[in-house]
Amino acid sequence: MDKDLEKLSALYDGELSSKEIQESLAKMNADEGLKNTFKKFGLISDIVQRHSEQKAPKVSFLKDYLSKINPVMSNLVTAAATVLITLIILYQFDEDRFQVDRGSSLQLSSALSSDQAKNQLLNADQNIMEHMIHIMQSNQSHNSQQVSKNWIPVGFSANPNNPNQYSNGRNNLFFHLENKQLGIKKVKYFKANNNWIYLIPLQDGRLLTAYGDVPPSVADPMIQSIYERK
Amino acid sequence: MGISKGDEVFVNEIKAGNVMAFEAMVLKYQPKLMSSLIGYTKSRDQAEELCQKTFIRVWQKIDSFRGDSALFTWIYRIGINLAKNDFASSFSKGSKITDYLDQNEHDVPQYLSPETELIALESEKKIMEFIQTLDTETKTAFTLREIDGRTYDEIAKILKCPIGTVRSRIFRARQLILEFMNQENILNG
Repeated sequence: MDKDLEKLSALYDGELSSKEIQESLAKMNADEGLKNTFKKFGLISDIVQRHSEQKAPKVSFLKDYLSKINPVMSNLVTAAATVLITLIILYQFDEDRFQVDRGSSLQLSSALSSDQAKNQLLNADQNIMEHMIHIMQSNQSHNSQQVSKNWIPVGFSANPNNPNQYSNGRNNLFFHLENKQLGIKKVKYFKANNNWIYLIPLQDGRLLTAYGDVPPSVADPMIQSIYERK
Repeated sequence: MGISKGDEVFVNEIKAGNVMAFEAMVLKYQPKLMSSLIGYTKSRDQAEELCQKTFIRVWQKIDSFRGDSALFTWIYRIGINLAKNDFASSFSKGSKITDYLDQNEHDVPQYLSPETELIALESEKKIMEFIQTLDTETKTAFTLREIDGRTYDEIAKILKCPIGTVRSRIFRARQLILEFMNQENILNG
């Protein structure tokens, strides 16, 4: 049954072959339940599209963004297209919520339709974008200060050949610590392709950038611990 | 923006006389058209009547649709023009500006039982909130499809995963939303 419904969903999106279309239409024609489900797909689309009309595009493409703020840089990025280029999620922790309702904040963090995402993208500083691109492009060779061992996430251990790289056997995380904060006042994180970038402003004025395939659900305790460190 | 690949499939089938494809197209766009027409007329009854008329007109005129615009944009224009005609005729009874509906209605497929379902705003909010709780992969694929209008192929490239995975994730999102609607007694039946 699920296979039929999955096909129905693909039919709804016009993503079936000609033969499959005929089969699915015939099945739907003979089954009121399928018809009803198809109609509900339409209702869902209507709701989702109506509720998103007044918001920014839910998925933003860094290349598009860069072409607006800096055409030259956009070209450079195009040339290095193998490195990034889909910036999917961005979110800024709200300090109050971070303290009070972290679970809720994390949910919001992956809310593609959040206003925070929109505002964050619109207000994103070019320096932050450049920093992120630099990290992504030269992650392995990027020179930065040694990080505190206390910041290493639980279950991760350092790579003997690269003291700033940590692994739990499944995920890798690179830390970069610098004497600049790029105007970042709150923790921000971004998803770029299959990796995440966490920008964590430290109390001492430095910026810790964590980059790797570690999702927020895993990185969150680390972020909280570092962010709250005096 | 021209017609999407997905709608082109339906339009080609309808042009070839496939009544089932027409019915599928109606099912797909009826909710959206109803929302638009209710917004325009401020009357559900009037919107339902206009919705029926619109789809009759779509069936009659589909051959003239060249795909220069999105399919729904074309349907929407027909609906709004019919609404304007209704308004005009309410001011000058018996003299509709254009009315092609008297002819050929017997050729129209028997799909028209509007029973258009509308969801309360509160329930819509619940659905939107539920969507936010979907896991990131599912939500991203679904959002790329429903809001950005990306094809499965484009989504697969963006998410660097096979098309089959995209198809499953989008279906999974819809399935979970439907289950949620059932749990919340939104549109049961």
